[in-house]
Amino acid sequence: MNHNEEVITLQVPASAEYIDLVRLTLYGLAVKIGFSFEEIEDMKVAVSEACNNAVLYAYGDLDTGMAAQAPQPAPLIEVRFVKKNDALSIIVKDDGRSFDAAAAAARAKPVDGGSIDDLQAGGLGLYLMQALMDNVEVNCEMGTEVVLTKRLVKSGEL
Amino acid sequence: MTQTDKLFLRTENQEGKCIVYVGGELDLESAVHMRAVMTPLIELTDRELILNLRELRYVDSTGIGILVSVLKARHAKQAPFSVEAVPSHIRKLFDMTGITPFLLKQA
Repeated sequence: MNHNEEVITLQVPASAEYIDLVRLTLYGLAVKIGFSFEEIEDMKVAVSEACNNAVLYAYGDLDTGMAAQAPQPAPLIEVRFVKKNDALSIIVKDDGRSFDAAAAAARAKPVDGGSIDDLQAGGLGLYLMQALMDNVEVNCEMGTEVVLTKRLVKSGEL
Repeated sequence: MTQTDKLFLRTENQEGKCIVYVGGELDLESAVHMRAVMTPLIELTDRELILNLRELRYVDSTGIGILVSVLKARHAKQAPFSVEAVPSHIRKLFDMTGITPFLLKQA
């Protein structure tokens, strides 16, 4: 961290009902920084995907209707918004089971041509993060940390 | 968890058509509501099933996954399904994930 960075930290219970709160916070900050409507929509989806993964895979969650898995006590998601001169990084961190980022990245892809039978109902989250952000890093030591970065292109500077 | 008002669903039955107007936010939280409404409608093979997304403000991979599930179920039953009035920022996600040609009727 250097003095050109400003950090806003939000900690929410790792539950589906708080992910919109993360989006609202992101929206407020991104507007203040000067991102465009389209860039903000992109970031909202990417950040939500990272939070979805934390809720679904790191801790398991009853909300999805999947089999109950022993939840850890009061699991949390920490979201750090790091405002830099020329970019915004959003770090989504959980302390749950690490997911296999390499395997997930290999699977992360859209439908390419093909038929309806080739469509997958799941596994699009990481692909969307990569497609919507300028940079995505996944660190899997002690839980999972996803670092999403969007560059700020100020109008008039092009 | 309390019932959320974030997703609005209104079903309209017309001659040979069932149109579901989807509004608000379709995310991990509201997905349960969406699935519950869609499940019985998938079985209505005697009419066309259409989702109108004009008032949909937000969707992520959870919502896209539901659309893909409905699409596959309807395809298996050889029953028509399509999506209409897709807002541009949502269309962008459909394009990125490659599902647009399967969801939108050819113009």
